[in-house]
Amino acid sequence: MQTPPAPSSGTRRGSLACVGLGMTLGSHLTPLARSHIEQADVVFAALSDGVVEMWLERMHPDVRSLQPYYREGKSRLKTYRQWVELMMAEVRAGKRVCGVFYGHPGIFAWSPHKAIETARAEGYEAHMEPGISAEDCLYADLGIDPGRFGCQHFEASQLLFYERRIDPAGYLVLWQVGLVGDRSLARFQTGSAYRQLLVELLARDYPLDHEVIVYRGATLPIEKPRVRRLPLRELPQAPLTAEETVVLPPAQSLRPNIAMQQRLEALDELEKAGDVA
Amino acid sequence: MTDTIDLLEAIGRDASLRHASAEELAKALEQAQASEALAAAAASGDRARLFEELGHRECEPPQSTQMPGHEEEEEEPDQHEEPRPSPVPGQEKPSPRR
Repeated sequence: MQTPPAPSSGTRRGSLACVGLGMTLGSHLTPLARSHIEQADVVFAALSDGVVEMWLERMHPDVRSLQPYYREGKSRLKTYRQWVELMMAEVRAGKRVCGVFYGHPGIFAWSPHKAIETARAEGYEAHMEPGISAEDCLYADLGIDPGRFGCQHFEASQLLFYERRIDPAGYLVLWQVGLVGDRSLARFQTGSAYRQLLVELLARDYPLDHEVIVYRGATLPIEKPRVRRLPLRELPQAPLTAEETVVLPPAQSLRPNIAMQQRLEALDELEKAGDVA
Repeated sequence: MTDTIDLLEAIGRDASLRHASAEELAKALEQAQASEALAAAAASGDRARLFEELGHRECEPPQSTQMPGHEEEEEEPDQHEEPRPSPVPGQEKPSPRR
Protein backbone atom coordinates (compact mmCIF):
# COMPACT_ATOMS: atom_id res chain seq x y z
CA MET A 1 0.00 0.00 0.00
CA GLN A 2 1.29 3.41 -0.88
CA THR A 3 1.71 5.85 1.95
CA PRO A 4 -0.77 8.69 1.53
CA PRO A 5 0.76 12.16 1.43
CA ALA A 6 1.12 13.82 4.83
CA PRO A 7 -1.44 16.53 5.50
CA SER A 8 -0.05 19.99 4.93
CA SER A 9 -1.09 23.08 6.78
CA GLY A 10 -1.02 26.55 5.30
CA THR A 11 1.11 28.12 8.00
CA ARG A 12 3.98 26.16 9.46
CA ARG A 13 4.01 26.14 13.23
CA GLY A 14 6.51 24.49 15.48
CA SER A 15 5.75 21.17 17.10
CA LEU A 16 7.44 18.74 19.43
CA ALA A 17 7.47 14.95 19.59
CA CYS A 18 9.44 13.14 22.28
CA VAL A 19 9.95 9.53 21.26
CA GLY A 20 11.61 6.46 22.75
CA LEU A 21 14.25 4.57 20.82
CA GLY A 22 13.85 1.46 22.97
CA MET A 23 16.79 -0.17 24.70
CA THR A 24 18.45 -2.33 22.06
CA LEU A 25 19.82 -1.01 18.76
CA GLY A 26 17.77 -2.29 15.84
CA SER A 27 15.34 -4.30 17.95
CA HIS A 28 12.91 -1.92 19.65
CA LEU A 29 12.29 1.18 17.55
CA THR A 30 8.59 1.39 16.64
CA PRO A 31 7.49 2.36 13.11
CA LEU A 32 5.74 5.44 14.48
CA ALA A 33 8.77 6.63 16.48
CA ARG A 34 10.93 6.20 13.36
CA SER A 35 8.41 8.20 11.37
CA HIS A 36 8.54 11.05 13.91
CA ILE A 37 12.33 11.06 13.58
CA GLU A 38 12.32 10.99 9.79
CA GLN A 39 9.68 13.70 9.43
CA ALA A 40 11.26 16.13 11.89
CA ASP A 41 13.20 19.22 10.83
CA VAL A 42 15.64 18.79 13.70
CA VAL A 43 16.35 15.87 16.04
CA PHE A 44 17.79 16.11 19.56
CA ALA A 45 19.23 12.96 21.11
CA ALA A 46 19.79 11.77 24.68
CA LEU A 47 20.83 8.18 24.27
CA SER A 48 22.42 5.40 26.25
CA ASP A 49 25.24 4.64 23.95
CA GLY A 50 27.46 6.42 21.44
CA VAL A 51 26.99 3.62 18.91
CA VAL A 52 23.22 4.01 19.20
CA GLU A 53 23.66 7.73 18.55
CA MET A 54 25.52 6.88 15.32
CA TRP A 55 22.63 4.65 14.32
CA LEU A 56 20.19 7.51 14.87
CA GLU A 57 22.35 9.75 12.67
CA ARG A 58 21.59 7.37 9.79
CA MET A 59 17.91 8.25 10.11
CA HIS A 60 18.18 12.03 9.95
CA PRO A 61 20.75 14.52 8.64
CA ASP A 62 20.39 16.94 11.57
CA VAL A 63 20.83 15.00 14.83
CA ARG A 64 22.08 17.13 17.73
CA SER A 65 23.44 15.25 20.71
CA LEU A 66 22.39 16.48 24.14
CA GLN A 67 25.22 14.57 25.80
CA PRO A 68 27.81 17.40 25.64
CA TYR A 69 25.70 19.46 28.08
CA TYR A 70 26.40 16.97 30.89
CA ARG A 71 29.40 17.84 32.99
CA GLU A 72 30.74 16.39 36.23
CA GLY A 73 30.27 18.99 38.97
CA LYS A 74 27.42 20.71 37.08
CA SER A 75 23.89 20.22 38.37
CA ARG A 76 21.98 17.79 36.19
CA LEU A 77 18.92 19.98 36.69
CA LYS A 78 20.73 22.78 34.89
CA THR A 79 21.59 20.37 32.09
CA TYR A 80 18.01 19.19 31.78
CA ARG A 81 16.71 22.76 31.71
CA GLN A 82 19.14 23.50 28.91
CA TRP A 83 17.81 20.50 27.01
CA VAL A 84 14.27 21.83 27.33
CA GLU A 85 15.34 25.28 26.17
CA LEU A 86 17.30 23.88 23.21
CA MET A 87 14.27 21.95 22.01
CA MET A 88 11.85 24.81 22.68
CA ALA A 89 14.01 27.35 20.84
CA GLU A 90 13.59 25.31 17.65
CA VAL A 91 9.87 24.76 18.28
CA ARG A 92 9.42 28.52 18.68
CA ALA A 93 11.34 29.01 15.43
CA GLY A 94 8.59 27.02 13.69
CA LYS A 95 10.47 23.73 13.38
CA ARG A 96 9.10 20.23 13.76
CA VAL A 97 11.30 19.02 16.60
CA CYS A 98 11.84 15.43 17.66
CA GLY A 99 13.50 14.64 20.98
CA VAL A 100 14.82 11.09 20.97
CA PHE A 101 15.47 9.43 24.30
CA TYR A 102 16.64 5.91 24.99
CA GLY A 103 14.09 3.48 26.33
CA HIS A 104 10.81 5.23 27.06
CA PRO A 105 10.95 9.03 26.95
CA GLY A 106 8.61 9.44 29.91
CA ILE A 107 10.20 7.07 32.43
CA PHE A 108 12.85 8.43 34.79
CA ALA A 109 13.22 11.37 32.48
CA TRP A 110 12.46 14.93 33.53
CA SER A 111 13.12 16.93 30.40
CA PRO A 112 10.73 15.25 27.91
CA HIS A 113 7.80 15.78 30.28
CA LYS A 114 8.87 19.36 30.95
CA ALA A 115 9.42 20.16 27.27
CA ILE A 116 5.99 18.80 26.32
CA GLU A 117 4.35 20.71 29.16
CA THR A 118 6.12 23.92 28.11
CA ALA A 119 5.27 23.48 24.43
CA ARG A 120 1.60 22.88 25.16
CA ALA A 121 1.46 25.83 27.53
CA GLU A 122 2.74 28.02 24.70
CA GLY A 123 0.14 26.66 22.30
CA TYR A 124 2.31 24.27 20.29
CA GLU A 125 1.40 20.72 19.40
CA ALA A 126 3.38 18.30 21.54
CA HIS A 127 3.27 14.53 21.80
CA MET A 128 5.03 11.71 23.63
CA GLU A 129 5.54 8.41 21.84
CA PRO A 130 6.34 5.50 24.17
CA GLY A 131 9.28 3.18 23.71
CA ILE A 132 10.37 -0.17 25.13
CA SER A 133 11.87 0.72 28.49
CA ALA A 134 14.54 -0.81 30.70
CA GLU A 135 11.66 -1.89 32.93
CA ASP A 136 10.06 -3.81 30.05
CA CYS A 137 13.35 -5.58 29.31
CA LEU A 138 13.83 -6.36 33.01
CA TYR A 139 10.50 -8.20 33.22
CA ALA A 140 11.35 -10.27 30.15
CA ASP A 141 14.96 -11.03 31.03
CA LEU A 142 14.38 -11.85 34.71
CA GLY A 143 11.05 -13.64 34.20
CA ILE A 144 9.16 -11.34 36.54
CA ASP A 145 5.43 -10.69 36.21
CA PRO A 146 4.69 -7.50 38.18
CA GLY A 147 1.07 -8.56 38.49
CA ARG A 148 1.87 -11.70 40.46
CA PHE A 149 2.95 -10.22 43.79
CA GLY A 150 2.87 -6.53 42.92
CA CYS A 151 5.94 -4.45 42.16
CA GLN A 152 7.19 -1.16 43.59
CA HIS A 153 9.61 1.04 41.67
CA PHE A 154 11.67 3.81 43.18
CA GLU A 155 14.63 5.80 42.12
CA ALA A 156 16.93 4.65 44.95
CA SER A 157 17.63 8.14 46.25
CA GLN A 158 13.93 8.73 46.89
CA LEU A 159 14.01 6.03 49.57
CA LEU A 160 16.69 8.01 51.40
CA PHE A 161 15.29 11.50 50.78
CA TYR A 162 11.70 10.78 51.75
CA GLU A 163 9.67 8.57 54.09
CA ARG A 164 8.30 5.78 51.92
CA ARG A 165 6.56 2.51 52.72
CA ILE A 166 8.14 -0.62 51.29
CA ASP A 167 6.04 -3.73 50.82
CA PRO A 168 8.38 -6.75 51.08
CA ALA A 169 5.60 -9.11 49.92
CA GLY A 170 6.04 -7.73 46.37
CA TYR A 171 9.01 -7.04 44.13
CA LEU A 172 11.04 -3.93 44.83
CA VAL A 173 12.91 -2.42 41.89
CA LEU A 174 15.49 0.27 42.65
CA TRP A 175 16.77 2.45 39.82
CA GLN A 176 20.06 4.31 39.68
CA VAL A 177 21.48 2.75 42.84
CA GLY A 178 24.95 3.73 41.60
CA LEU A 179 23.97 7.37 42.22
CA VAL A 180 22.07 6.79 45.45
CA GLY A 181 22.02 9.70 47.86
CA ASP A 182 23.53 12.28 45.49
CA ARG A 183 21.96 15.52 46.72
CA SER A 184 24.22 17.71 44.61
CA LEU A 185 22.80 16.44 41.30
CA ALA A 186 26.34 16.93 40.08
CA ARG A 187 27.95 13.52 40.55
CA PHE A 188 27.87 10.58 38.17
CA GLN A 189 28.41 8.03 40.95
CA THR A 190 28.33 7.80 44.73
CA GLY A 191 30.39 5.38 46.79
CA SER A 192 29.85 2.37 49.02
CA ALA A 193 29.14 4.49 52.15
CA TYR A 194 26.03 5.85 50.40
CA ARG A 195 24.91 2.36 49.43
CA GLN A 196 25.53 1.21 53.00
CA LEU A 197 22.88 3.73 54.13
CA LEU A 198 20.48 2.28 51.59
CA VAL A 199 21.19 -1.25 52.84
CA GLU A 200 20.55 -0.13 56.42
CA LEU A 201 17.18 1.21 55.37
CA LEU A 202 16.30 -1.92 53.41
CA ALA A 203 17.37 -4.11 56.35
CA ARG A 204 14.26 -2.89 58.19
CA ASP A 205 12.21 -5.01 55.78
CA TYR A 206 14.64 -7.59 54.39
CA PRO A 207 17.15 -9.98 55.99
CA LEU A 208 20.74 -9.11 55.09
CA ASP A 209 21.19 -12.47 53.38
CA HIS A 210 18.20 -11.81 51.11
CA GLU A 211 19.25 -12.35 47.51
CA VAL A 212 19.17 -9.23 45.35
CA ILE A 213 19.54 -9.12 41.58
CA VAL A 214 21.72 -6.56 39.81
CA TYR A 215 20.51 -6.15 36.24
CA ARG A 216 21.54 -4.33 33.10
CA GLY A 217 19.70 -4.78 29.80
CA ALA A 218 21.43 -5.05 26.46
CA THR A 219 21.81 -1.84 24.48
CA LEU A 220 23.72 -3.41 21.58
CA PRO A 221 22.28 -6.46 19.80
CA ILE A 222 25.56 -8.34 20.20
CA GLU A 223 25.23 -8.15 24.00
CA LYS A 224 23.38 -10.31 26.48
CA PRO A 225 21.62 -8.92 29.53
CA ARG A 226 23.92 -8.78 32.56
CA VAL A 227 22.45 -10.45 35.64
CA ARG A 228 24.26 -10.83 38.97
CA ARG A 229 22.83 -12.22 42.20
CA LEU A 230 24.26 -11.38 45.61
CA PRO A 231 23.18 -11.09 49.24
CA LEU A 232 21.83 -7.69 50.26
CA ARG A 233 24.70 -7.17 52.70
CA GLU A 234 27.22 -7.25 49.83
CA LEU A 235 25.52 -4.51 47.83
CA PRO A 236 27.67 -1.62 49.17
CA GLN A 237 30.91 -3.28 48.05
CA ALA A 238 29.65 -4.65 44.74
CA PRO A 239 30.87 -2.82 41.62
CA LEU A 240 27.83 -0.97 40.32
CA THR A 241 27.35 1.46 37.45
CA ALA A 242 24.67 4.11 37.20
CA GLU A 243 22.64 2.25 34.60
CA GLU A 244 22.38 -0.97 36.63
CA THR A 245 19.13 -1.74 38.40
CA VAL A 246 18.70 -3.59 41.67
CA VAL A 247 15.74 -5.93 42.16
CA LEU A 248 14.66 -7.33 45.52
CA PRO A 249 12.36 -10.34 45.12
CA PRO A 250 9.59 -10.77 47.71
CA ALA A 251 10.79 -11.58 51.23
CA GLN A 252 7.36 -12.43 52.64
CA SER A 253 4.39 -14.42 51.44
CA LEU A 254 1.13 -12.62 50.77
CA ARG A 255 -0.99 -12.39 53.92
CA PRO A 256 -4.74 -12.81 53.43
CA ASN A 257 -6.86 -9.81 54.38
CA ILE A 258 -9.43 -11.75 56.40
CA ALA A 259 -11.60 -8.73 57.22
CA MET A 260 -11.97 -7.73 53.55
CA GLN A 261 -12.57 -11.30 52.45
CA GLN A 262 -15.41 -11.55 54.98
CA ARG A 263 -16.92 -8.32 53.70
CA LEU A 264 -16.67 -9.59 50.13
CA GLU A 265 -18.38 -12.81 51.17
CA ALA A 266 -21.19 -10.78 52.75
CA LEU A 267 -21.55 -8.76 49.53
CA ASP A 268 -21.68 -11.98 47.50
CA GLU A 269 -24.43 -13.29 49.79
CA LEU A 270 -26.42 -10.08 49.37
CA GLU A 271 -26.12 -10.28 45.56
CA LYS A 272 -27.17 -13.91 45.63
CA ALA A 273 -30.20 -13.08 47.78
CA GLY A 274 -31.07 -10.24 45.36
CA ASP A 275 -30.90 -12.65 42.40
CA VAL A 276 -33.24 -15.07 44.14
CA ALA A 277 -35.64 -12.28 44.99
CA MET B 1 33.52 -4.98 4.34
CA THR B 2 29.91 -4.38 5.40
CA ASP B 3 29.13 -1.22 7.35
CA THR B 4 29.20 -1.92 11.09
CA ILE B 5 26.15 0.18 12.06
CA ASP B 6 24.12 -1.43 9.26
CA LEU B 7 25.20 -4.86 10.47
CA LEU B 8 24.29 -4.07 14.08
CA GLU B 9 20.84 -2.93 12.95
CA ALA B 10 20.44 -6.11 10.89
CA ILE B 11 21.35 -8.28 13.89
CA GLY B 12 19.00 -6.31 16.14
CA ARG B 13 15.98 -6.88 13.92
CA ASP B 14 16.63 -10.53 13.00
CA ALA B 15 15.18 -13.07 15.43
CA SER B 16 17.66 -15.80 14.57
CA LEU B 17 20.70 -13.51 14.74
CA ARG B 18 19.67 -11.55 17.85
CA HIS B 19 19.53 -14.70 19.92
CA ALA B 20 22.13 -16.74 18.05
CA SER B 21 24.90 -18.57 19.84
CA ALA B 22 28.37 -17.00 19.74
CA GLU B 23 29.43 -19.56 17.11
CA GLU B 24 26.40 -18.94 14.88
CA LEU B 25 26.81 -15.19 15.14
CA ALA B 26 30.52 -15.42 14.38
CA LYS B 27 29.74 -17.44 11.24
CA ALA B 28 27.06 -14.98 10.11
CA LEU B 29 29.40 -12.04 10.67
CA GLU B 30 32.14 -13.72 8.70
CA GLN B 31 29.77 -14.32 5.79
CA ALA B 32 28.65 -10.69 5.96
CA GLN B 33 32.28 -9.56 5.89
CA ALA B 34 31.98 -7.76 9.20
CA SER B 35 34.86 -5.67 10.42
CA GLU B 36 37.42 -7.31 12.66
CA ALA B 37 36.34 -5.03 15.53
CA LEU B 38 32.67 -6.03 15.28
CA ALA B 39 33.54 -9.72 15.04
CA ALA B 40 35.78 -9.43 18.11
CA ALA B 41 33.17 -7.44 20.06
CA ALA B 42 30.46 -9.99 19.24
CA ALA B 43 32.70 -12.91 20.22
CA SER B 44 33.78 -11.39 23.52
CA GLY B 45 30.76 -9.28 24.37
CA ASP B 46 33.25 -6.46 24.95
CA ARG B 47 31.98 -3.30 23.33
CA ALA B 48 35.34 -1.60 23.83
CA ARG B 49 36.52 -3.26 20.62
CA LEU B 50 33.79 -1.43 18.72
CA PHE B 51 35.03 1.94 19.96
CA GLU B 52 38.39 1.21 18.34
CA GLU B 53 36.60 1.23 15.00
CA LEU B 54 33.84 3.77 15.57
CA GLY B 55 35.47 6.14 18.04
CA HIS B 56 34.38 6.46 21.61
CA ARG B 57 31.49 8.78 22.45
CA GLU B 58 30.76 9.37 26.08
CA CYS B 59 27.23 8.82 27.28
CA GLU B 60 26.58 9.90 30.84
CA PRO B 61 24.30 8.25 33.38
CA PRO B 62 20.56 8.09 32.98
CA GLN B 63 18.47 11.10 33.87
CA SER B 64 18.06 11.34 37.61
CA THR B 65 14.64 12.60 38.58
CA GLN B 66 15.25 13.03 42.31
CA MET B 67 15.71 16.70 42.93
CA PRO B 68 14.72 17.40 46.53
CA GLY B 69 14.70 21.13 47.09
CA HIS B 70 16.01 21.79 43.59
CA GLU B 71 12.82 21.69 41.54
CA GLU B 72 11.62 25.00 42.97
CA GLU B 73 14.92 26.79 42.46
CA GLU B 74 14.54 30.06 40.65
CA GLU B 75 17.65 29.36 38.63
CA GLU B 76 17.46 30.68 35.11
CA PRO B 77 18.92 28.37 32.51
CA ASP B 78 22.21 29.64 31.14
CA GLN B 79 21.47 30.12 27.47
CA HIS B 80 24.97 31.19 26.66
CA GLU B 81 26.86 28.25 28.02
CA GLU B 82 28.47 26.26 25.29
CA PRO B 83 28.42 22.49 25.37
CA ARG B 84 31.77 20.91 25.95
CA PRO B 85 33.47 19.79 22.76
CA SER B 86 32.92 16.25 21.58
CA PRO B 87 35.60 13.96 22.97
CA VAL B 88 38.49 13.02 20.77
CA PRO B 89 38.60 9.25 20.32
CA GLY B 90 41.19 7.72 22.59
CA GLN B 91 41.54 10.78 24.84
CA GLU B 92 38.32 10.75 26.79
CA LYS B 93 37.82 9.65 30.36
CA PRO B 94 36.03 6.35 30.88
CA SER B 95 32.29 6.77 31.12
CA PRO B 96 30.46 5.31 34.11
CA ARG B 97 28.05 3.82 31.61
CA ARG B 98 30.57 1.33 30.32
